[in-house]
Amino acid sequence: MRHGKISIGPKLYIALCFVFFYLPIAVTMFFSFNSSKSLTHFTGFSAQWYEKLIHDQNILAAVYVSISIAIFATIASTVLGTITAIGLSKSRRLLKEALLNINNVPIMNPDIVTAISLMILFTSAGLQRGYVTMLLAHIAFCTPFVITSVYPKVRSMDQNLADVAMDLGATPFQALTKVVVPLLRPGIFAGMLLAFTMSLDDFVVSYFVTGNGVANISILVYNMTKRINPTINALSTLLILAVVIVMVGMYIWPSVREKLRKKTRAGGRTLRRGRRGRKAFAAAGFCCMIAIAVIFASQFSAISGKQTLRVFNSGEYIDMDLVSQFEEEYNCEVVYETYDSNESMYTKLQSGSTYDILVPSDYMIERLISEEYLHQIEWNYIKNKDAIIPKLVEDNLYDPGSRYSVPYYWGNVGILYNKNIVDKKDLEAGWEVLRNTKYKGQVYMYDSERDSFMVALKALGYSMNTKDKGELQEAYEWLINQSETMDPVYVGDDVMDNMISGNKAMAVVYSGDAAYVINENEDMDYYVPEEGTNQWYDAMVITKYCRNTELAHQFINYFLNEDVAIQNTEYIGYDSAVKSVYEYFRDVEYKGNTGCAPASDNPRNEVFHQQEQKVKVYMSNLWTKVKSHQ
Amino acid sequence: MKHFKGLAYPYVAWSFALIVLPLLLIVLYAVTAGDNSLVTIHFTLDNFRKIGDPVYLNVFAKSLEIGLIVTGVCLLMAYPLAYIISWFSDEVQGILILTVTIPMWINTLLRTYAWISLLSDNGLISQFLTKLGLEAPTMMYTNFAVIIGLVCDLLPFMVIPIHTSLTKMDYSLVEAAKDLGANNFQTFRKIILKLSLPGIINGVTLVFLCSISSFVVPVLLGGRQYMLIGNLIENQFISIGDWNFGSAISVLLAIAILLMMSLMRRIDPEEKGEA
Amino acid sequence: MKDKPIIELRDISKTFGDQQVLRGIDLDIYENEFLTLLGPSGCGKTTILRIIGGFEEPDSGKVLFNGINIAKLPPYKREVNTVFQKYALFPFLNVYDNVAFGLRLKGMTDEIIDKKVSQMLSMVGLSGYENRDVSRLSGGQQQRVAIARALINEPKVLLLDEPLGALDAKLRKDMQIELKKIQKEVGITFVFVTHDQEEALSMSDTIVVLNDGVIQQIGTPIDIYNEPEKRFVAEFIGESNIISGNMIQDCLVRFDDIDWECVDKGFRPNEEIEVVLRPEDMDVVPLDKAKLHGKIVSKVFMGVHYEYFVETKYRDYKVHTTENYQVGSEIGLTIDPYDIQVMHLS
Repeated sequence: MRHGKISIGPKLYIALCFVFFYLPIAVTMFFSFNSSKSLTHFTGFSAQWYEKLIHDQNILAAVYVSISIAIFATIASTVLGTITAIGLSKSRRLLKEALLNINNVPIMNPDIVTAISLMILFTSAGLQRGYVTMLLAHIAFCTPFVITSVYPKVRSMDQNLADVAMDLGATPFQALTKVVVPLLRPGIFAGMLLAFTMSLDDFVVSYFVTGNGVANISILVYNMTKRINPTINALSTLLILAVVIVMVGMYIWPSVREKLRKKTRAGGRTLRRGRRGRKAFAAAGFCCMIAIAVIFASQFSAISGKQTLRVFNSGEYIDMDLVSQFEEEYNCEVVYETYDSNESMYTKLQSGSTYDILVPSDYMIERLISEEYLHQIEWNYIKNKDAIIPKLVEDNLYDPGSRYSVPYYWGNVGILYNKNIVDKKDLEAGWEVLRNTKYKGQVYMYDSERDSFMVALKALGYSMNTKDKGELQEAYEWLINQSETMDPVYVGDDVMDNMISGNKAMAVVYSGDAAYVINENEDMDYYVPEEGTNQWYDAMVITKYCRNTELAHQFINYFLNEDVAIQNTEYIGYDSAVKSVYEYFRDVEYKGNTGCAPASDNPRNEVFHQQEQKVKVYMSNLWTKVKSHQ
Repeated sequence: MKHFKGLAYPYVAWSFALIVLPLLLIVLYAVTAGDNSLVTIHFTLDNFRKIGDPVYLNVFAKSLEIGLIVTGVCLLMAYPLAYIISWFSDEVQGILILTVTIPMWINTLLRTYAWISLLSDNGLISQFLTKLGLEAPTMMYTNFAVIIGLVCDLLPFMVIPIHTSLTKMDYSLVEAAKDLGANNFQTFRKIILKLSLPGIINGVTLVFLCSISSFVVPVLLGGRQYMLIGNLIENQFISIGDWNFGSAISVLLAIAILLMMSLMRRIDPEEKGEA
Repeated sequence: MKDKPIIELRDISKTFGDQQVLRGIDLDIYENEFLTLLGPSGCGKTTILRIIGGFEEPDSGKVLFNGINIAKLPPYKREVNTVFQKYALFPFLNVYDNVAFGLRLKGMTDEIIDKKVSQMLSMVGLSGYENRDVSRLSGGQQQRVAIARALINEPKVLLLDEPLGALDAKLRKDMQIELKKIQKEVGITFVFVTHDQEEALSMSDTIVVLNDGVIQQIGTPIDIYNEPEKRFVAEFIGESNIISGNMIQDCLVRFDDIDWECVDKGFRPNEEIEVVLRPEDMDVVPLDKAKLHGKIVSKVFMGVHYEYFVETKYRDYKVHTTENYQVGSEIGLTIDPYDIQVMHLS
């Protein structure tokens, strides 16, 4: 549109909008050079996160998955979408309309519906979930975008041109590649760009359809909530730079090419352009083939001789360096995947993903045992059995006799509070302090229906394993009352970063997380109410699908080695199941940190037990009501 | 060209397997009860009845509210932006639009994380305000945070279609209007706004669609109490494991969206012309 | 004309949906011939061309090329090339690459392609335009590129689908002459489709008049103009007065209650017929020498001549003459026997 001089006001508006767009990006880039972990306080310049990035196998693998999936999905959906759009314009009206309408469905449908529909499909078809299912899903949601951008171009194209080509001796295939495709180039290019963007940025669909350790950047970041890892800022910065370079390059490329062309024109004719183009095309095709071969090779390296172990663990719940060490020592490959809750792990199992080793919590182990998902532990393989704190094995409530599980970490649930804000006296009220209106707007509750109900039930003096609807109702009312009077925020693992930053005064957390936060922020302290709490245990189990039980046992045993456990505990911050390590951290390394090794002898503490589905759904619904009460 | 007719057939098979079949499966789950397996099929409408519970209706209402607010804010911000951009020379326009698109290429989750460090209680914005001697309001885990996050994420989807329809516009119509005595404001209201309507409809559709069903941004910026339809569905599938109920919500959501889309298309003058 | 037909169409029929566009077409096309398919739009002329080119398959009938049926042969295997309506140049290629397209597909070496392309471009008068974008050419230049692109493949037959339709009148005349010249030079058969009768008359060796999927008449331009066999041909080509009458006997026809001498024979006695009278064949004569009397009711100056409508007892006649008469004046008309063309009723 033509317009004369543009005054300062509108220009300022554009500038403001761009500030809004680029503020988060700038923050990310800025803090990628921070010398500390904080994302809110800049403590000094450092390139350490970049160094970490180069060595972080997980992140590099995720980058590889994201980019390779995006490339393959783009190629496949561009080819499929283009030929479909061309074919469609010549199809019978009925077929055309039906297909175009179906094609609109993935575009119109919310991502989440597409995602679960594909998840159900792959589950029902019994497909092993992982790279291939993710790729299929990406092609499925990218192709419609290619079709919608190419189809109008096909319709507006001079239909004679394909005839001309064939008239001049081109076979239909030659007519397609030499005439039709070049004619559609702008549409194809737009579709391709769209497909690539969609694929690269996708979280929802990938999250639901992946498995077996295959994660893209989005999934990795999502599972990283437990502990913000500034490495991801370094990664973002690099990605942003790459995007900017590519986009700017693409933007100026046409004008550069035009200049080049003019130059060659001056020098002579561009006679062999067609030939050269063909060569370039062939070269590109060849590169793709190689890339595909590499992918397959890396995907099936398992077949190439190395033993593999598929480990499914909570996010940030193992030091990956130790996993690499294990791989080296035992000449095997560990396919490592993370989940964000016991429940999501269970859903994955149920939807057909298979793993060798899991690290679930007590009540989930109970459930897995009763549903016969597990393989018995052969204790004679666990050479380090005696290093484990005896009572963890002997007084095992969730797995009597410890027949199916080897303890990993343990702890309880308590209140993490800011010493400078919360009055010690108020804490004597126990869990009721969470309803003390003096601290209104200062409370984080943990988004776990079982733990939140535990708080309420314990405050009311009931058992946290109650099945009594009346008691559950009372607990529900307690929580509703708390929601009304206290304005609590219900958070997930991001509670830790929030508490480290001192955003609120109190939070319901796991003891190990408390230890970690206290370590980072000295103002914090940890308190376990006398009314009792959830005494929890996480343990390693072997599934019945395990293909290599010997290696699985070796893996479990490996993490009971004292030096391994020390390094692992340093990374995780929870209470180790290895006695010497437990004591070392309690008495030396974390001395004085109340989150570390809290007393576990309160008779009112309990272990969660498996719930009947009916009770579980009932409680979930109540919890949904509590959360959406405001 | 008749030689190319067969080219559409592979996609017929593909779209049946990866679009139609999955949808049928969801519908099947939605109308059955059972423990997530299709071995024992037991038809029921209970899953839909359950949606009538005020808790869930509340979630729907909240999603709708957020969707409408985000769409409105995006439109109000994006229209002036697209309009001003269209005043510049073609070259500058290219650069400005590129600047708008670049953030779309950067992972949404990464951008959302950056907002956390900006908005949290001791975050950069409140630090800044405190330095100015102002009292910083709580922003994190509020409607405000979720809306900011979604608007930042979705704004380009509104700017680009509007800008496209503005640049495609026949400028002689604007001149004609002015010639016929319309002042700048009248020209804008009667001509420019009308002619850019297809772009607005496109943008509104896209943004509304994405915001109503989003679930990552609300979780990260709104906290876990921030239940939108997307979160509810995810909860049913991942945490609670009630696939039947989750499917029922999905089916309902999909139907609602498709209805809204067809309604939007009715308003769109371009679509009418084509039919 | 020549002894052996290169293309023979035998009883070709074609239907699109529920519309029959060709009904039993029989046609011989000879070597070196400039044959024009002439008819109003929708008469099926382009469909015939597309069937010869291989873009459509006939529902029934045979397409013989040098005696071999090629009805099911795809276009890229036929020794026939086409110049399409509106040129259909490849917009993403320059002039050189457009012309070289067919040769590249045949895998010729760059040297041969280079030689042939420059030869062909010089023949159509476009030397020096090799690197020009086709979108930056004028309509006439684009037309030449399209012709060069087709001819470079050395087809036995060149099909031209209304190639001059998009050009302005002056350019059209030039291109008509040019095309005729090119045809002489390359010495191959041209099959030309047009709805413009003047174009057909001035360029063709043979004209095929089509209407409603049926061939109305095949003949030289002179035959077609002077001796239309059907009312449609007479009406479509040139202007005419068409009058019904009776054939009294050989060489004597009766219409407007007057007996006229003519040269047509072979009709049944008293057969009802139609007579075609070209306006320029109506001679204006003094009243006493005239067979018909009439009054001029309108007059239009047409450049070379005047067009009058003359009201007679039974009908209005259209008359062309260079003489100037006043509207309202009484004139006499007569017609020479050899200017009376008698047709069977169609």
